[in-house]
Amino acid sequence: MTKITINGREVDADPAQPLIRACHDHGADVPMYCYHPGLSPVGSCRICQVEVQQGDMPPRVVVACRTPVVEGMVVDTEAERAHETRRECLEFLLKNHPLDCPICDKAGECDLQDYAFAEGQGKGRSAEPRRKLEKRKSLGDVIVLDQERCILCSRCTRFMEEVPRTPQLTVSDLGSRSVIETFMDRPLTGNYQGNLADICPVGALTLKEFRFQARVWNLRKTPSTCAECSRGCAITVETLRGGEVKRFRPRPDLEVNQYWMCDTGRFALDRANLPARLPAATLRGQSGLEEADVEDAVDVLADMVGAHRASAVVLVSPFATQEEAAAVQRLAAELGAAPAFVSPPPNDLKDDVLHTGDPCPNRRGLTGLGFEALTAEDALARLADAELAVLAGERVVELVGAEGLAAVRASLRLVVLDAVPVDVPALDVALGVPTHVEKSGTWVNVDGVRRRLSLAVPPPVGVAPLEQTVERMLARLQAAEVRG
Amino acid sequence: MVVVERKELTLAERLYLPEIFRGMAITFRKLFAKRVTRQYPEEPLPTTEVTRGQPRLVVNDDGNIACVSCGLCEAACPAYAITIDGHETDRTIEREPERFDIDMLRCILCGFCEEACPKDAIFMSDELELADYTRQALVYNIERLKRPKSALQARIDYVYRLNDRWQSSSSTS
Repeated sequence: MTKITINGREVDADPAQPLIRACHDHGADVPMYCYHPGLSPVGSCRICQVEVQQGDMPPRVVVACRTPVVEGMVVDTEAERAHETRRECLEFLLKNHPLDCPICDKAGECDLQDYAFAEGQGKGRSAEPRRKLEKRKSLGDVIVLDQERCILCSRCTRFMEEVPRTPQLTVSDLGSRSVIETFMDRPLTGNYQGNLADICPVGALTLKEFRFQARVWNLRKTPSTCAECSRGCAITVETLRGGEVKRFRPRPDLEVNQYWMCDTGRFALDRANLPARLPAATLRGQSGLEEADVEDAVDVLADMVGAHRASAVVLVSPFATQEEAAAVQRLAAELGAAPAFVSPPPNDLKDDVLHTGDPCPNRRGLTGLGFEALTAEDALARLADAELAVLAGERVVELVGAEGLAAVRASLRLVVLDAVPVDVPALDVALGVPTHVEKSGTWVNVDGVRRRLSLAVPPPVGVAPLEQTVERMLARLQAAEVRG
Repeated sequence: MVVVERKELTLAERLYLPEIFRGMAITFRKLFAKRVTRQYPEEPLPTTEVTRGQPRLVVNDDGNIACVSCGLCEAACPAYAITIDGHETDRTIEREPERFDIDMLRCILCGFCEEACPKDAIFMSDELELADYTRQALVYNIERLKRPKSALQARIDYVYRLNDRWQSSSSTS
């Protein structure tokens, strides 16, 4: 650690990191466009200039992202000279930046907008027209480029080179004619394109999927964990007007995903915005499945379980949190069944950046609790021999296979706790559970890192957390035992 | 306790009739004076460009709505009366509202939306009447809010004059 002074305070700075990191770590607000903590610094935007004084030399204004930390340097981020140079840089950056904010999707989370608001002039001094470039340039399926808005910070080109290591973007042409382009206008490829829209400090690179979907200040952001693979990237779940999930964005988590996430996870919105939901409780009645009161359903269930507990199968979804799994484990112990979870086979999305190719986000946690991993075939084979089966958790029916379940003999007492409606002949009781954006809990990722899920969307009316429903069943069973 | 001393009535007052005639004279005179009462529903109230009536959306002369659904009026609205969803267009202006609802029962006619709008797309019209049979009917959708620019021109000019006055009086460096 190196001792330096930032704004009059002596602090310890990491000599391996550029000066801007030390400033940010110690509460000094230094703007940045081209610098990103996850990418190599280039110092192209010059907006992070601060005043530095070393030894006997007079203070100089330097770019904080390209200045190494040196013992004894005295940094003043709020010096008038530093502000003045930053304002001059900003004026040049804004020279060709269109007044698109009312249309731009980045407005509200745009670094350029924020800093122009804080420090910029109300009016431009330039009489020349702004340069006219392509405003709706498609860069593949994920990203759309607005060349007019681009401030040529080159974060995107560095991201493509350094993170997925598939260099595809470049700054082409020279000087005032520079634009961001792909080679021969080929579309971008790869599973990490969505990050370009996050790292772009302005609205030049935006997501096609999110284009004009919402104004960002209307989105409520809840920190959570991605459900698409066992990496469990830290994300924010962003919902519009308390209902629809509009986007997932990565959250910095240096132990798990640094600053990034893959497109598979980013665009898995269908899993969060389910069109049809399983109501709190449905029972097999005279005319098929009928909606029922949860208490009645639990009563029926307890009677049924009491009579058929001889050979029970308890299967949990790989999306179950540790808390849910623990509750299901107690239920399994009560029924004398070995707890197991459905484990779908690895998919072909594995890469050496983030995606693990394993679609079970809590595999490590469940195996740690003593759950056995079962393929869909094994699970169905177990159901064939059982008298009673409890399938608990989001997407458990889909993962076991709805066709496979439909073929199970109708005499099997089948209890399903799922998020989406299900109708198979064997089904007796179905209880609704929340999806992964509607519950809070813990997942253990592939490296054994525990991360929280948070409730971002309220579950449908009457649908209680899975662990609560299971505990209710358990309490009812134990009460029946005492009476019996 | 306060003892109130009543004034004795004069002879003319006690005679009663002279006062009646005096009153009738006033009444008779007013028959020929200029009327101030208005037959309201048939005869609408006069409005000027200063009147802050219900907000309306400007439709430009080319037939396109001026709004780009930036959401600033929605954010500025203190009564949460406005809800906007945008979608993409083929025009140079890439976005326009797909849904633009103003709940007129919530609207307090404060004019913040007009002030917030960066695109001169929403103005306070001179329309003031608000009555219907259901609450839902008073949530105005985009089609009910659209007005040709010419219908709002007086207010637009007034707002521009007002802004100029603000800018010349406030000293922003």
